[in-house]
Amino acid sequence: MSSPYDVVVIGGGMSGLMAAISLVEKGRNVAVISKGDPVCCLSTGCIDLFSRGDDPIGGIELLPDYHPYRLIGVERVKESLDIFQDIMRVAGLPYVGDLRVNRKILTPFGTDKITCLVPETMESADCDPDEYIHVISFKGLKDFYPSYITSGHVNSGYSIFDAGVSSTSAIAERFEDKDFLQEFISWLLNLSLPDGKIAFPAVLGTRSSMSIFNEISNRLERDIFEIPTIPPSIPGERLFNRFKNLFLEKGGSLYWGKEIASVEKLGGRIEAVTLSTRGRPTRVQGTLFILATGSFVSGGLYASMDDVRETVFDLETYLPGERKDWFNEDFFIPGHTIEKAGIRVDSTLRPLDSEFSNLFVCGSILAFTEVMKYGCGHGTAIATGVAAANMCEELL
Amino acid sequence: MMKTDVIIIGGGSTGCGIARDLAIRGISHCLIEKGDFASGATGACHGLLHSGGRYVVNDPEAAAECISENMILRKIGQKCVEQTGGLFVRLPGDSKNFRDRFLKSCETIGIETDVLSPSRALDLVPNINPSIEEAIKVPDCSIDPFRLCMLNITTSKKRGGRILIHHRVTEIVKEHGKCVGVKVREGLTGREMELRGRIVINATGAWGDKTAAMAGGSVPMTLSKGSLIVTNHRLTNMVINRLRPSSDGDIIVPNEAVCLAGTTSMPVDDPDNIDVESHEVDLVAAEAEKMIPSFNSTRLIRTYAGVRPLLSSETGDDRSISRGFRIIDHQNGMFSIMGGKLTTYRLMAEKMCDKVVEVFGLKKRCRTAEIPLEGQEQLSGYPLSKRLKELKDIVCECELVTRDAVERAVNDVGPRYIGDIQHRTRLGMGPCQGGFCTYRALGIMQESGRMKPDESKRILKEFLQRRFKGIRPALWGDQLREEQLVESIYLGILGMEEKG
Ligand SMILES: Cc1cc2nc3c(=O)[nH]c(=O)nc-3n(C[C@H](O)[C@H](O)[C@H](O)COP(=O)(O)OP(=O)(O)OC[C@H]3O[C@@H](n4cnc5c(N)ncnc54)[C@H](O)[C@@H]3O)c2cc1C
Ligand SMILES: Cc1cc2nc3c(=O)[nH]c(=O)nc-3n(C[C@H](O)[C@H](O)[C@H](O)COP(=O)(O)OP(=O)(O)OC[C@H]3O[C@@H](n4cnc5c(N)ncnc54)[C@H](O)[C@@H]3O)c2cc1C
Repeated sequence: MSSPYDVVVIGGGMSGLMAAISLVEKGRNVAVISKGDPVCCLSTGCIDLFSRGDDPIGGIELLPDYHPYRLIGVERVKESLDIFQDIMRVAGLPYVGDLRVNRKILTPFGTDKITCLVPETMESADCDPDEYIHVISFKGLKDFYPSYITSGHVNSGYSIFDAGVSSTSAIAERFEDKDFLQEFISWLLNLSLPDGKIAFPAVLGTRSSMSIFNEISNRLERDIFEIPTIPPSIPGERLFNRFKNLFLEKGGSLYWGKEIASVEKLGGRIEAVTLSTRGRPTRVQGTLFILATGSFVSGGLYASMDDVRETVFDLETYLPGERKDWFNEDFFIPGHTIEKAGIRVDSTLRPLDSEFSNLFVCGSILAFTEVMKYGCGHGTAIATGVAAANMCEELL
Repeated sequence: MMKTDVIIIGGGSTGCGIARDLAIRGISHCLIEKGDFASGATGACHGLLHSGGRYVVNDPEAAAECISENMILRKIGQKCVEQTGGLFVRLPGDSKNFRDRFLKSCETIGIETDVLSPSRALDLVPNINPSIEEAIKVPDCSIDPFRLCMLNITTSKKRGGRILIHHRVTEIVKEHGKCVGVKVREGLTGREMELRGRIVINATGAWGDKTAAMAGGSVPMTLSKGSLIVTNHRLTNMVINRLRPSSDGDIIVPNEAVCLAGTTSMPVDDPDNIDVESHEVDLVAAEAEKMIPSFNSTRLIRTYAGVRPLLSSETGDDRSISRGFRIIDHQNGMFSIMGGKLTTYRLMAEKMCDKVVEVFGLKKRCRTAEIPLEGQEQLSGYPLSKRLKELKDIVCECELVTRDAVERAVNDVGPRYIGDIQHRTRLGMGPCQGGFCTYRALGIMQESGRMKPDESKRILKEFLQRRFKGIRPALWGDQLREEQLVESIYLGILGMEEKG
């Protein structure tokens, strides 16, 4: 049996990995256990900090004091996003943006998404309605229809390239092939497009996305940008893969595709968790534990007909009223009441009313995060992840 | 101005059945429906082709009509009827006396029964509650109401019937106290026109009183809402009924890849304004679970409601409110045909058309029970499994709808009504309920130049709101998870949220 880890993180999403990376960077011995890929892989890869206004930090300052951002404090939020940007720069997937100014990126539906930090491949994605944009699509791509975009931009057009494959993942993988990239660039040059920006669905490569992007941009000698698609979303996967690899490179241990089968408790502490692995069960022992299993989509929370449960430790959850009130009537007004559900914590991210003294909670499983209402998904995940790591550091 | 002999208002099973009957008898007609076919009670019903078992104890006459129509429809409508058979299950505590009366009445009327022990019932339906006392097998079937309407319309169209869907009758034109025509308005364009006819038939179901009122008549009725819930897979291959006096939530019907459980019964005032409430979902789910215990761990993918017109008796005595059908001669050239069931739609049409030939002084007998429904050759067999053939370019993964099928439907009905395309292809009717395939179908339509992007954006928004309304009362468990995902994609990635 292995010696205990300093920290065992349950849940390998943005929040859990951010906590884990912060801890391994400080030389801690950390394990991450995750049932499966996180919602980051479904996301645009852009970091929403607070999207319901022009100034994210200003918006955060006005949130109720029980919102996770406010529990950890605005200064800590800013620091953690700076850390995130540093990490990504070193990891070769740089992000741009200003924490005090939201930006717009063009969506496949021709609308604007409001977000804060974006990968460099989306730096030019804020477009004026009368600016010339040429959209490139790929034959057979099911969820990307350029006409949704061009209809909102009078001066625009589109062309379709046949990549021989038609899913976002398969096309992105094709771009990793040098010959394919050259063929694609020649085709683009032959289109002799009028001046203006060129937009692509976000499929320009997986591992080497930045160099592919720069090469296309340089050869065409103009601004280009990617438009994040609905899942499978390549920019979301790029972000997640960088995070996961970074953690591994720094010596972290990963238990992927594993669920928690049982929890060992001893005198108000969690001793170890056992994983449901084929054959002999694996026991993972830790000094401290971080719970980052996400909200309903990832299964950190589960709603029955009249209650909400936390699925690993059966922690007390906050339940926002009766089922009939969980959802508003309008689909398009973001933020249903059920989003308030989750684990309530104190300012050290320890769960309230819990028997465990060595457990911290971070990410979208936290009560009152309200990811859709405020547009703060990855932002809260990153900020509370760093904060949870700091709390662990203080105790270790 | 267009002229015809008979104007039929309403494109539910009753109206479509009348159109077919008139067509076969060679009488010119025009059917006007404000939405798509089956957009009223017909499309919102349980899809049970009754054996009559449900009515056999309290309303033997209705039961007798059901069994005889059931036998006719399975003959003439093979491609819209699935001969599932049905079970009436008796749970511990359900009256033995009721069971005895049930069996006796079935025998009198001629509904074939077979009394099964719990273990034999379990052989037939492995998901059934093992602690049932017994089950009685009856010849219930599952029927596709939309397909049924379409097939009836095929005959009408072939023989010169005029069919106007998405046209609402706004006025009944009278001359010298007699109905001589109708004014109609097209749904999207608002274009109006007038049609002339010698007889006007009001087959508008729950809207019947409003329609009659346009001609100065009335059809006294109360309205009762029934709500149903849809599961994400087929929990049973047979219809399951509860063996007890009719009550809420005692029927589960398999339908293609899903099951429908229902219903409730609640008084309502306005047939255009009906919402499913979460306590109705709880009630139906709780009752269904008693018959099929795994029901509650199954994902519910949608809820919907329909309105039954309950015809008041002349005396206004509530107890004699009947579910049997009635033809009312308003003595001004208008007839209303109301009530009944989907199961008895053909019989209702027959009686109505008998009246028409009588008024016209013709001698043309009804032949709708002998001739198979036309157009079935082109349809695949009823069960989904038969459609799992080589499919290319799939737009809807749940119902395996191809790009081709969508394009064909667009060519048929025009691109403007996404709902129509869904009915015709079953696009978006499966477990994800159109979450993504609708977006795709609209993308395809605008790519092919059949629709302007702005129009398709508007239609998508309307569709998502309608879809959400159907799912909202049944959101918990895995379906809640799925819904949060759908919301994140449309609002979080596609930026469709209300801004500001
Ligand atoms: C479709 C979609 C698009 C989005 N787009 C954006 C966007 O563009 N920008 C943005 O900022 N935010 C976006 N969000 C929100 C954002 O992705 C999330 O709020 C955030 O990433 C949540 O991170 P998390 O670490 O808290 O949880 P998650 O990412 O949900 O991770 C939880 C992890 O825990 C694992 N897990 C769960 N239960 C167990 C268990 N019992 N045992 C072991 N492991 C378990 C899961 O497998 C998962 O990997 C989007 C969300 C969705 C659904
Ligand atoms: C919840 C529920 C479950 C049921 N389950 C079953 C079952 O399992 N088996 C069974 O046999 N029966 C069942 N029934 C009964 C059955 O659905 C109805 O009896 C039958 O569908 C009635 O058909 P209809 O054509 O008379 O009425 P509808 O289907 O309601 O048709 C009336 C049509 O008139 C149209 N209309 C109204 N006003 C206008 C206007 N001004 N201009 C143009 N068009 C207009 C409406 O849009 C509508 O399409 C059920 C009923 C309900 C409510």
